[in-house]
Amino acid sequence: MLASTVSPLAIARRRSELGLVLLAAFITGAAYVLASLGKNASLPARIGPFLVSLLVLLVCAHIGVRKFARGASPLLLPLAALLHGIGYVMIARLSDRLAGLQATWSLIAVACFIAVLVLVPRVADLLRYQYTFLFFGVMLQLLPLVPGIGFSSGGARIWVSIGPINFQPGEFAKLCLAIFFAGYLAEQREVLSTGGKRIAGVQLPEMRTFLPVMLAWGVSVVVMVAEKDLGSSLLFFTLFVVLLWVATERSGYIVFGGGLFVLGAFIAYNMFGHVRDRFSIWLDPWSQYNGKGYQIVQGMFGFAEGGLSGTGLGLGDPTRIPAVKNDFIFAAIGEELGLFGATAVLAAFVFIIGSGLRTAIRTDNAFEKLLAVGLTTILGVQAFIILAGVLRVLPLTGVTLPFMSYGGSSLVANYMLLGLLIAISHSSARRLHEVPQ
Amino acid sequence: MNRVIRRLAVGLLACYALLFVQLNVWQVGKRADLRANPLNNRESVRQFDAPRGPIVTSDGVVIARTVELANNARDASGYTYQREYPTKELFANVSGYYTYAYGATQVEHLYSDVLAGTTPKQQLLAVGSTFNNVDQTGEVQLTLNSELQKLAQRQLGTREGSAVVLDTRTGAVLAMYSNPTYDPNTVAVHNNDDAGAALEALADAPGKPLLANAYQERYMPGSTFKVITTATGLEAGFISTASEWPDENSWTPPNTKNPIQNYGKKTCGGDMFEVFRRSCNIPFARMSADMGPEVMVNGVKKWGVGEKLPIDLPNAAASTFGGDIADFTDSLALLAIHGFGQGSVQMVPLHMAMVAATVANGGAMMKPYVVAKTLAHNGTELSSTSPEVWRRPISPATAATLNTFMVGVAKEGTAKCCLALAGGIQAAAKTGTAQLNAPGETQRSHAWITAFAPAEAPRVAVAVMLKGVNAQISAGTGGTLAGPVAKVLLDRALKVVPQ
Repeated sequence: MLASTVSPLAIARRRSELGLVLLAAFITGAAYVLASLGKNASLPARIGPFLVSLLVLLVCAHIGVRKFARGASPLLLPLAALLHGIGYVMIARLSDRLAGLQATWSLIAVACFIAVLVLVPRVADLLRYQYTFLFFGVMLQLLPLVPGIGFSSGGARIWVSIGPINFQPGEFAKLCLAIFFAGYLAEQREVLSTGGKRIAGVQLPEMRTFLPVMLAWGVSVVVMVAEKDLGSSLLFFTLFVVLLWVATERSGYIVFGGGLFVLGAFIAYNMFGHVRDRFSIWLDPWSQYNGKGYQIVQGMFGFAEGGLSGTGLGLGDPTRIPAVKNDFIFAAIGEELGLFGATAVLAAFVFIIGSGLRTAIRTDNAFEKLLAVGLTTILGVQAFIILAGVLRVLPLTGVTLPFMSYGGSSLVANYMLLGLLIAISHSSARRLHEVPQ
Repeated sequence: MNRVIRRLAVGLLACYALLFVQLNVWQVGKRADLRANPLNNRESVRQFDAPRGPIVTSDGVVIARTVELANNARDASGYTYQREYPTKELFANVSGYYTYAYGATQVEHLYSDVLAGTTPKQQLLAVGSTFNNVDQTGEVQLTLNSELQKLAQRQLGTREGSAVVLDTRTGAVLAMYSNPTYDPNTVAVHNNDDAGAALEALADAPGKPLLANAYQERYMPGSTFKVITTATGLEAGFISTASEWPDENSWTPPNTKNPIQNYGKKTCGGDMFEVFRRSCNIPFARMSADMGPEVMVNGVKKWGVGEKLPIDLPNAAASTFGGDIADFTDSLALLAIHGFGQGSVQMVPLHMAMVAATVANGGAMMKPYVVAKTLAHNGTELSSTSPEVWRRPISPATAATLNTFMVGVAKEGTAKCCLALAGGIQAAAKTGTAQLNAPGETQRSHAWITAFAPAEAPRVAVAVMLKGVNAQISAGTGGTLAGPVAKVLLDRALKVVPQ
């Protein structure tokens, strides 16, 4: 067989990707113009530079994939670009000032995305650094607690201020810890999945194997108690339990983890006023309309206003929802793009999750498989936590909506996560000889 | 592991399906309920925060307009538009204010549909054009003249009181200003708390600045009321130009021991022309007692006293004679006192201007109005006010007689000092100094004048009332205090209203 550097399959995937990325760019550009027409009845002030930067940014990301991960799934980048684009249009529509900042962060995020592709040619190699990642993960997670540089905003102590830059280290800690757990579990899965007693038909693991679960639980509790970041706490815990479950293939971990979660939630409910607040707002926001329930009720009014097809971009009134550019951006989408637009966003997240898990299934390297599951879980569960909170399916816990919410740390971290998933996807394609080694 | 990953995929898919279901609940299932929820003010805010046409004076000065906010202000306040009142306090009593939480008042309230462009007529006009973004807002054109209004403001200065100028032939209000008043810009702010605080402070302020005192308040009229008493006597045939009254400084009405005196305890008497010009009290007290409750009360009623004034603005006040026939049957003394504008008689300043205008207009009392016409955005006239007679309290002959009496007041009577109009134009007037204090107390009085000009072919009428809230006003008389104000306003008004 002729050793070629060009494989038809890779070319096909990259062509699909380019087509879809251009489609995402077109949708974003059109939405940007419509939002301005809706809001100001005029074309955006700097429409030319905007469209050019949008195209350059997305084509650069595409070229990055083409150069360094040419066998990867063609769906991941376009889906992220679409969510990112709609999110950006919404932020620009909500605030001129934040639009400029978010544009800068978009640039940095895509640069970091390409950097990940360049720096991690073989994802499996990361296994060697699993304890380094554990160290960085824990350090980053605890950084906001350091006096002097860490500070609270909106009730949660998750911010760090170094010089002129404010960021949320927890967004990056998630990536580090996902790498560590994937590595740890890839090596320990045999041990963790043997032995144990059966209680009520469920086989429980042995005592010593409880240790990592307890550790995960401990980290979650620290995040919740010290940083008051309920959403991230829930996300960490879900990540650990899911990875344990996948690694050991034992449903007992899900049952046990679920039990621990219920216990933790019960204790937290009784110990912390802010947890009780979240629950009571969830159950009955109406009686607290003039206080803590205002945001969620305004969000519901926003969704109702949107109806099936939405008010149209720039024509709704989403600014009356507190924190609409961060946690509640989905309510603004529901209001202005309606059920159709909001469903498209949900579908995009489902497709990203599908592509991520498909990547996990295709690779035969245990570490890569677990890492792909972990990264997809972070993305999918984080989006679910905030969407469920905004839609009042679960009590509201403030986390960002990946790719869409305003915020630099979140955007950069999620593009790095996307880079890792694409790198894994490319690795498995190579291993499956779909593209040359 | 792949088996578990597939289960995970199914689990996550189920989670997102749940989100989709809930999305349908809010956006479709419970949509109508949520939109109708009383806490949901999106619809009402949208209706409020919309383009709105201007309110313009007859000389083209914009007194209320809506501006589009800059992007930053828009993001900060959550509103797109801001209602502005460029003339500040000057027209507050006419324009009113337009707020979200506290509603609208005055023209902003009554003509809200026209200004917002939601009248059926305006909507029909918009249907004709295919494009959606047609400006449907309407414009309200007032009868008031900004220069005349400014003059009224300047003339009153810091003194509390009201000034009203009317076109005698149509009833159109040319100026209507009262002190104290307020700046509607302080109320029409987007922050509901600030708006509420501003309104509360105004509601608690002395002098009721939120009320248009010129037509929403009434005051003791003093001798200006003698116009109505005289008219009643003439109409009923109790008096004529030939009637004579004895020179006296005190008269005790039947069934009482308290004597009635003239202003300043002077001795006063003579023919009808003279007692009117000098504003003697006793002749009018005698006249009222002679006529008796039935004739007097019915005569006063003919002028619309006791009825809400028919101006095209909300919450107009009604003047009052302070009692009905039965109230005076056993107390002719009280009727006598009311006959010269004391006791519990109270007149609205606008009404007093209408009284002068009626005499000027040959006995036909016109409905006062402030809105000349309303226009659609493209200039199409939506409505225009045609002058209407409200009532005819007196015959043209009586009006002519009263005209000569009032000319006497201006020429050689209580207003002689202060009512010589520019260009030698003859004015006709009646002054009033309403005694608010009981005998023996510190002097407190309102200073009034009601006048029209030119006497031979009247075009404009004016009423000026200065509230007796301080010693400076209480020391003067209607002629010396209100007279100069009336002169300035009449001079200017005659230039505004063509012959």
